[in-house]
Amino acid sequence: MKIETMLRDIIQSLFHKPVTELYPAQRQPTPQRLRGKLRWNPEKCTGCCLCVKDCPCSAIELITIDKDNKRFVMRYDAGRCTFCAQCVQNCRFNCLEMSSEDWELAAMDKALFTVTYGREEDVQSLLGCVAPTGDPAGE
Amino acid sequence: MSKEQFTIPIGPQHPALKEPGHFTLTVDGEVVTGASVRLGYAHRGIEKAVESRNWVQDLYLLERICGICSHIHATAYCLGVEKLAGVTAPPRAQAIRVLVAELERIHSHLLWLGVAAHQAGFDTLFMYSWRDRETVMEVLEQLTGNRVNYSANLLGGVKFDVDTRVLETILSGLDFLETRTHHYLDIVSGDRIFLQRTRGIGMMTSEQAERLGVTGPTARASGVRRDIRVDAPYAAYDRYPIQVVVETTGDLEARFIVRLKELLETYHLIRTLLDGLPEGDLKTRMPRRIAAGETISRVEAPRGELFYFIKSDGGDQPARIKVRTPTLSNMASVTQLAVGHQLADMPMLLTGIDPCFSCNDRLTTVQTSGESETWTWEKLRQYGIASYRERG
Repeated sequence: MKIETMLRDIIQSLFHKPVTELYPAQRQPTPQRLRGKLRWNPEKCTGCCLCVKDCPCSAIELITIDKDNKRFVMRYDAGRCTFCAQCVQNCRFNCLEMSSEDWELAAMDKALFTVTYGREEDVQSLLGCVAPTGDPAGE
Repeated sequence: MSKEQFTIPIGPQHPALKEPGHFTLTVDGEVVTGASVRLGYAHRGIEKAVESRNWVQDLYLLERICGICSHIHATAYCLGVEKLAGVTAPPRAQAIRVLVAELERIHSHLLWLGVAAHQAGFDTLFMYSWRDRETVMEVLEQLTGNRVNYSANLLGGVKFDVDTRVLETILSGLDFLETRTHHYLDIVSGDRIFLQRTRGIGMMTSEQAERLGVTGPTARASGVRRDIRVDAPYAAYDRYPIQVVVETTGDLEARFIVRLKELLETYHLIRTLLDGLPEGDLKTRMPRRIAAGETISRVEAPRGELFYFIKSDGGDQPARIKVRTPTLSNMASVTQLAVGHQLADMPMLLTGIDPCFSCNDRLTTVQTSGESETWTWEKLRQYGIASYRERG
């Protein structure tokens, strides 16, 4: 039977730096596999919509501009996304990836969570006829 | 029995608890003379919600039933659905499922150690065990990308592989945690003051444990040799057997010792697994429509047996999924064990089954004469600490 069993830990801690991370003043490198904001490459997309079908939170919408010429626009809602990466797994053409750097996604306005990906002219033609969306990262 | 009898309702809202419960304690002076529990306040409708989503979407919904043991929910579901579809995940995927499940067990048990120490007023142990828990959280983050809700499972396999870099992180993390676990084992079985709160408190014999149907470390602390990983090996547990840790004393101290010794067993299992990780694919093809039929899937979650019933009518959505979490099985023991104990022991008794008690709780002391006083969970915790301090 002992008492003060943790005294040694406490004394040792006096000679160590605090373990608390001083975020955001000091930033730790992000883990390579961290799943952040979804990125979409329109070049290889065939519009199969498998990513949309299995998304557990309806965060992705694929809008067809011209199916014959494979022109699509993807609307991604980071506010709905659970970052499970099922869409990345489903994509057979490796069009999707989750950024390990882009993870600080807090915003004051709900509209800022919505990102519209695609060829510039396609996005413009879509935005011309639907409600405008914003992107915190300035895509 | 004195004339004045108090009924103390605890709950029903416990934000930190998976299943918020309402406990009614009848006390005669300081001694609890009766206790009852009422559950069902945290009904989120998940079992109904899964019926309107497809099999893949359900994986992520079910993973979110519990924030601490999320991976084991997803594993139980995947194994059940794969069984229905007649698909077996590749051996490497099964081994990685076991790896993540065991890392999750480390994180859960260390979290519990901290919470239980905090309830006893031993905040130094709480702070240091949670500092060390960061090690396993970082290992999980390196392996899967997330600290919680790892999303490591897929129907038919897993998403993440173990490469050299991750392997080194895991092994160095385990070395550190093993040293610390031995230290914590010394503390919980040797600290005179802490033992006053745990030794001989909440005694449950193996007969009682069998009768009440408790599972997991709570049962094993009462001498019941029951562990799904051994009794009905799933995933890769037949390749990597574990030694069941059993204590026979059945008090709170035994529950601490069982969980900490289980950690040592887990470190050993992870090292063996990483030594002989089978080569091969990470996933296999799964049909979108699952053949009609029904199955059960049982896994050993950190808190005990987790049970899934899955029924398919041949479509791309499940017809019915029923989940039973270990907290439900263990809850009956709290009401039985409370009788005859001091009111001051209640926070520790409740925490002993690991029901995720941690946050501020609402607690009302109702006096039968009509006057009432509201107590918070924090106040009951402080009352427990002060009561033991007075007794010396």
